[in-house]
Amino acid sequence: MAMLGHEGERDPVDTRLALKLYEEYKTFFKNAERTRRWNVFDDIPWDKIRKDVPEELALVVETFCAVEAYLPDYVSGGLALVRPYMGSLWFQTNWGYEESKHALSLQEFLLQSGARTDEQMVDLQNKLWAGQRWTPLFQTGRQMTIYGAIQEQATFVFYVRQRERAKELGHETLATIFDFIARDEVAHAHFYEGVVKVLLEQDREGTLRDIATVTRDFKMPAYDLVPDYDERVLVMRELAGMDRDMFFQKVYFPVLKAIGIGRNDVVQAMARQRREAQPSAE
Amino acid sequence: MADTSNLLALFREVVEEVDKKKLPDVTEKSVIADLGIDSLSTMQIIGELENRLDIMIPDDQLVKLETVGDLLAVVERCAAKKG
Ligand SMILES: [Fe+2]
Ligand SMILES: [Fe+2]
Repeated sequence: MAMLGHEGERDPVDTRLALKLYEEYKTFFKNAERTRRWNVFDDIPWDKIRKDVPEELALVVETFCAVEAYLPDYVSGGLALVRPYMGSLWFQTNWGYEESKHALSLQEFLLQSGARTDEQMVDLQNKLWAGQRWTPLFQTGRQMTIYGAIQEQATFVFYVRQRERAKELGHETLATIFDFIARDEVAHAHFYEGVVKVLLEQDREGTLRDIATVTRDFKMPAYDLVPDYDERVLVMRELAGMDRDMFFQKVYFPVLKAIGIGRNDVVQAMARQRREAQPSAE
Repeated sequence: MADTSNLLALFREVVEEVDKKKLPDVTEKSVIADLGIDSLSTMQIIGELENRLDIMIPDDQLVKLETVGDLLAVVERCAAKKG
C-alpha cells in the first residue's frame, strides 16, 4: 500500500489516507487564504528601510536567502515523494509559492538596503547553482513529512528570534519581513504535524520508527550546499542563541507534543531499531 | 530508591547499551560531551533511565545538562518525588 512511500512507487492509493490528506490541505489552504496572505510589495514598509545594516545581520539575511534559494530543488524533490496523494502534492506547490516570497523579500531587503549589490547577489546565485543539487535527506514521503514538521518549526523559531533582533537594532522593515515569514513557517509546521498525526493513526509503529530515523539523522536543509555554510551557521547561532537546549525545548519537544507522542515513544522506537540492528544471539 | 553510586553504575550500563561505549572512569564531574555522548544519545540515555526507574522527567527539566552529575541530579530528584 502506498503510504507516502519512495519516489516512483506506484502502489494503489490508500483511499482513507488520500481523503485525510486532502482535508489537511483544505484546512491549511483555507486558513492561508483567509488569515495569512501578505504581499511582498505592499505590506512591507520598504519606505522605512535603513541603509546601515550591520554586516552580521546582512550575513544572516543572505544565508537565509541562500537556503531559500534551493526552492526549485525542494519542490521537485518533495513532489516526487508524495505522489500520488493530492493533498500533499497541492500543499507542496502552494508551499513553493509561499517560500518563494520569503526568498524574494529577503533578497529585496539586501538590495534595497544597500547591504548587497546586484552583482553580489548574482554571484551568490551562481555559486549556489554551480554546486550540487539539493536532494531529499530521507527516502520516503513519510520520513520527509516528519522532517518537514521539525525543520519548519526550527525555521519558525529562528525567524522569530531574528525578528526580535531586527527590532532591537531598529530595523523595522526587516522585522516586518521576518514576522511575515515566521507566520508562514509555523503554518507549514502545523500542516506537516497534522499529516504526521494521520500517519500515526494509520501505522503507529512504522511512523514511530520513521520519527526515530529522522530524529537521528536530522540536519537543517542545504547544510552542506550553501557556500561557507559552516561559518554562517556559527554567526547565526551566536545571533539567535539557538543552542542544543533551545532546539529540544523550542523545536523538537513542541513538535512531539503537537503530534501527540512523548519523548519516550521515540526513545523506545530507537531501542527497537537498535535491537533489530543487532545480530541475533542464537 | 537508587542512591548516587547506584545511579552512576546504572548510567554506565545504559550508556553501554545505547552508545556501545564503556566508561569505566566516568564520575559525576565528567562532562557529557567530553565522553563523546551527543544530545541525541543523551535523550536516549535519559529515556532508558526513566524506563528502568519507572519515572517520567518533565521535558522542561532537560536543560543545562553539562555533566553526568547534572543529569543524575535530575533523575534523582524525579525518583525521590516518586518516593
Ligand atoms: Fe521559508
Ligand atoms: Fe517554510
